[in-house]
Amino acid sequence: MSSSTETFDQISPSEFFYRNRDLAGFSNPTRSLYTAVREFIENSLDACDQKGILPDVHLSIKAVDPEKPDPKPYILTVKDNGPGIESKHVALAFGTVLYGSKFGLKQARGMFGLGATMAILYGQITTNKPVVVKSSTDGQIQDEYELLLDIQKNKPITLKHETKEVSKTGLSISIRLEGDYSKAGSKIRDYVYQTSLITPYATITFDDPKGEKFRYTKIVRTMPPPPTIIRPHPYGIDVETIKRMTVDSKFQIPTVDNKMIDKVRSELGLRKKDLNYKGILERAKKRWSSLSRQVRVVIALMSFLKMDFDKLNKIRIDDIDVSNQKLTYWDFGESQSISVDMDPESDYYKQLTNTVQGETLTSFLTKRFQRVGRTTAEKFANFANFKPEKRIGTMTNQELVKLSDSLQKFTAFLSPDPRCLAALGELPLEKGMRNFFNPDFLAVVQRGASAYSGFPFIIEMGIAYGGQIPAGGPKTFRFANRIPLLYDEGSDVVLKVVNETDWGRYKVKNDPPLVIVSHICSTRIPYKTVGKENVADRPEIERELRLALQFLSRKLSSYMSKKGQAEMQKKRANLYSKYIPLVARFSTELAGKKKEPNYQKMLKEISVIEAEEIIN
Amino acid sequence: MKPKKSLTKTSEEKRKFLAQILKNTGTKIYDELDNGQFPKFSVPSRSVSNIVYDKKLRQYILGTNVSVRSSRNMSQLRSFTQLMWLAFFANRLVNEKKSSTLRDIYYSSQAFEVDFEDQPESDNIIVDLEAVLTRPREDLHIFPEERSSVFGDLTIEYTVPGYEGRRSNLSDHPDGYLIGPSLSSAELVDTSAELVIAVEKGGLFTRFVEEKVHKKFKAIIVDTAGQAPRSTRFLLKRLHDELGLPVVILTDGDVYGEHIAMVIKSGSANAAHLRELTVPDALWLGVWATDIEKYKLPTIPMTETDIKRISDLQKDPRYQEGNWKKQLEVFKKIKRKAELEAFSKYGLTNITDKYLPEKLELAKSL
Ligand SMILES: Nc1ncnc2c1ncn2[C@@H]1O[C@H](COP(=O)(O)OP(=O)(O)OP(=O)(O)O)[C@@H](O)[C@H]1O
Ligand SMILES: [Mg+2]
Repeated sequence: MSSSTETFDQISPSEFFYRNRDLAGFSNPTRSLYTAVREFIENSLDACDQKGILPDVHLSIKAVDPEKPDPKPYILTVKDNGPGIESKHVALAFGTVLYGSKFGLKQARGMFGLGATMAILYGQITTNKPVVVKSSTDGQIQDEYELLLDIQKNKPITLKHETKEVSKTGLSISIRLEGDYSKAGSKIRDYVYQTSLITPYATITFDDPKGEKFRYTKIVRTMPPPPTIIRPHPYGIDVETIKRMTVDSKFQIPTVDNKMIDKVRSELGLRKKDLNYKGILERAKKRWSSLSRQVRVVIALMSFLKMDFDKLNKIRIDDIDVSNQKLTYWDFGESQSISVDMDPESDYYKQLTNTVQGETLTSFLTKRFQRVGRTTAEKFANFANFKPEKRIGTMTNQELVKLSDSLQKFTAFLSPDPRCLAALGELPLEKGMRNFFNPDFLAVVQRGASAYSGFPFIIEMGIAYGGQIPAGGPKTFRFANRIPLLYDEGSDVVLKVVNETDWGRYKVKNDPPLVIVSHICSTRIPYKTVGKENVADRPEIERELRLALQFLSRKLSSYMSKKGQAEMQKKRANLYSKYIPLVARFSTELAGKKKEPNYQKMLKEISVIEAEEIIN
Repeated sequence: MKPKKSLTKTSEEKRKFLAQILKNTGTKIYDELDNGQFPKFSVPSRSVSNIVYDKKLRQYILGTNVSVRSSRNMSQLRSFTQLMWLAFFANRLVNEKKSSTLRDIYYSSQAFEVDFEDQPESDNIIVDLEAVLTRPREDLHIFPEERSSVFGDLTIEYTVPGYEGRRSNLSDHPDGYLIGPSLSSAELVDTSAELVIAVEKGGLFTRFVEEKVHKKFKAIIVDTAGQAPRSTRFLLKRLHDELGLPVVILTDGDVYGEHIAMVIKSGSANAAHLRELTVPDALWLGVWATDIEKYKLPTIPMTETDIKRISDLQKDPRYQEGNWKKQLEVFKKIKRKAELEAFSKYGLTNITDKYLPEKLELAKSL
């Protein structure tokens, strides 16, 4: 009975994700071990990237009882040299879901604010052991936490908190979890290998449960510049997001209580000093630009109420009716409700309307979105059939839907700003690939920024041929925001593009020793699942991938024909110097001569024949 | 009967003649190399479009198309070298009076690194050399593995090393004599026979020997063992040309039998580059399609392939007239065939006692 009436509102987000752990990649001991490794390593690399620290990341997996057969409990530890997490945030970051620092629009590996917590949760559920987090943000003091997660309340329980002196910043996280290394091992090793391929500026090491050690030292010492957080692009927005944005564009009318009055006093520098209301307004005018929004609102109210702090203390604001320019308050002293008129011409009135009704459409568009200027905003208003000065806060649900639809349809917005993207760069990619594959031929390309549905993206791609690459290719390494994608290969857009390539056209024969590295960077990778394993088809992305691959294939093709010519030349020289002496020998015996004919000068002519054949 | 020496060369003459051609070829190539020129061969084209039927010669011959195989051309260099090697190797065989089989050639080549990929490739080069020299491979002492046999009163004199001057009579051994390299190169010295009977099958050959057909009909009996190998056709030609013996042929009563007879008479398209393998005067005695009914022979139905083969042969210029044409038509109509053994239904000696004499009688009027 009870289950049928249950709704999701009644459960905490953690419990929701506990129930939906399959989505996040924690479906079984094999997959979970792999996913946990990923989540922690990606967090470490993200943290280092953000602070411009060349990452040193150490992964270790140890069986609690090596004798037991898989699946069994493992201790998984990831340690980095990143910025760490401030002591007071540790428990929140790792003890609650949807707590993350990466929600802003910039490129990062993490997106959802739940990866680490899901891993910890999974460990706790399967082994009932706490997570141990050691973090130092200053390189002197390290906080060490032992945490359990309260699944029902989405709240961490701190079992232990100690501090210790250290000499380096960084974070180390260690969990116990049920895993199956015999099955997950090859994927994990692939993951570590491929991650270091796409992160050539990082040192990544891995001590596996069988005592094997994998070391990938940094190949380059330059990091891509940390991406900047940017405002959303109009194309990347839906009705829900707009609603959220209008809500926070329309500030709550602050409650004018003692605490608020203290705030106003302190911002005006009147903590110790009392002024009359005129004096207060004058002082506010001088300091206007440095005042907070809430304080500005209080000042505006005071201007209509004509009250000083003392008086203000004794009333309660009940209604601000902007359309009728009436302000209503309850006077505790007189125990009655009083209305005063507001002068619509006054600057203070504008301040209030802004707050109550939100910004005008034009200022909403120019301030809250990227790459929208005044003219564009006005053109848009015209296009969408809104008055440019229409207040966002007054829009009905229907109007908001219309606004969101029009944003998608308006074609004159500039394309999204790619500064929020951190591509790897051609040089590091090239160095990484050269170091990993040791090929005969290598070419890389970084395409210009492009966008799909308002999200900017950049494609980087490299192609390597021959050398130490084994035949049997083309083998494709797929990356998205520097994460290797290893599972669910079949349905990925990159593979689609590679498979649809007619390699014969580029003089590449079957089963070539060929490697393709594809890297998609975007503020929003269109993953097909939360497990972040394959990228969905988006025509814009597919097109860019195709262009990148064509560009590289053409380079490969010209290498192949040069190589073909060189090989041909060699083969030719070999053939003539092999067969002509034989012909000479046979003819000598046939003709009944003793001395062989002088054929040496003919062998020199081979290059002439070559030239002729190229002309033909 | 004494052989008419003037018609064909003796083996020794032939050997010397060949050695000379080979030497000339070698000298030409030697000189070209010495002058810094890339040597080449002209190889008569053996493509279908260059095989034509010569009515006067009554056999298939190669047309005038010639392809040049040049050592200058990279794609021909290897096969040029192979051809050259074969000439060189044949020269050794001829000079040392040794013989070799097609298979031997393939394996011998491996000591010289001329890179034959497989035996068909080396077989093919052998045919090329035949075409270049216009001499059959047997002259070059190269023989196929297949062997057929001959029996009858014929005295031969060997020319192969170790047996030079030795004589044999081909009726000394009841299983007959293998038609191999030594027989092919032997001189035909003397015979009392007046006729050569070629039969398609070993079984019948043995029966003929047992039934003393060679005595009754004064015949030399040749077992062609199916489609007659070139050495057998070559021997038949020599028996006809050198000893002046008429040649008759007995085959199964089917389309393949008819064609076995035709190939003996006028050669095969495969050997269109050679002109010493045909016996234009040879007669096909049977079993004809019309014999099947006439002699009430037990029959077997034809298969699809049999019928298709008839249609194919009907397009061949040699089957456009006379008995050849008529028999094909009857086969096609009755869609049945009969083997030589079918005569056994009327007794084991029926074929030699009744059929053969009747047919030989008829042959006189053909
Ligand atoms: N090694 C680390 N160093 C510094 N901060 C970290 C580290 N690991 C995690 N964090 C902080 O903890 C937050 C929560 O991490 P979590 O993995 O749960 O979410 P996320 O990485 O933001 O998103 P996702 O669910 O996609 O992984 C991160 O946003 C980051 O601020
Ligand atoms: Mg994460």
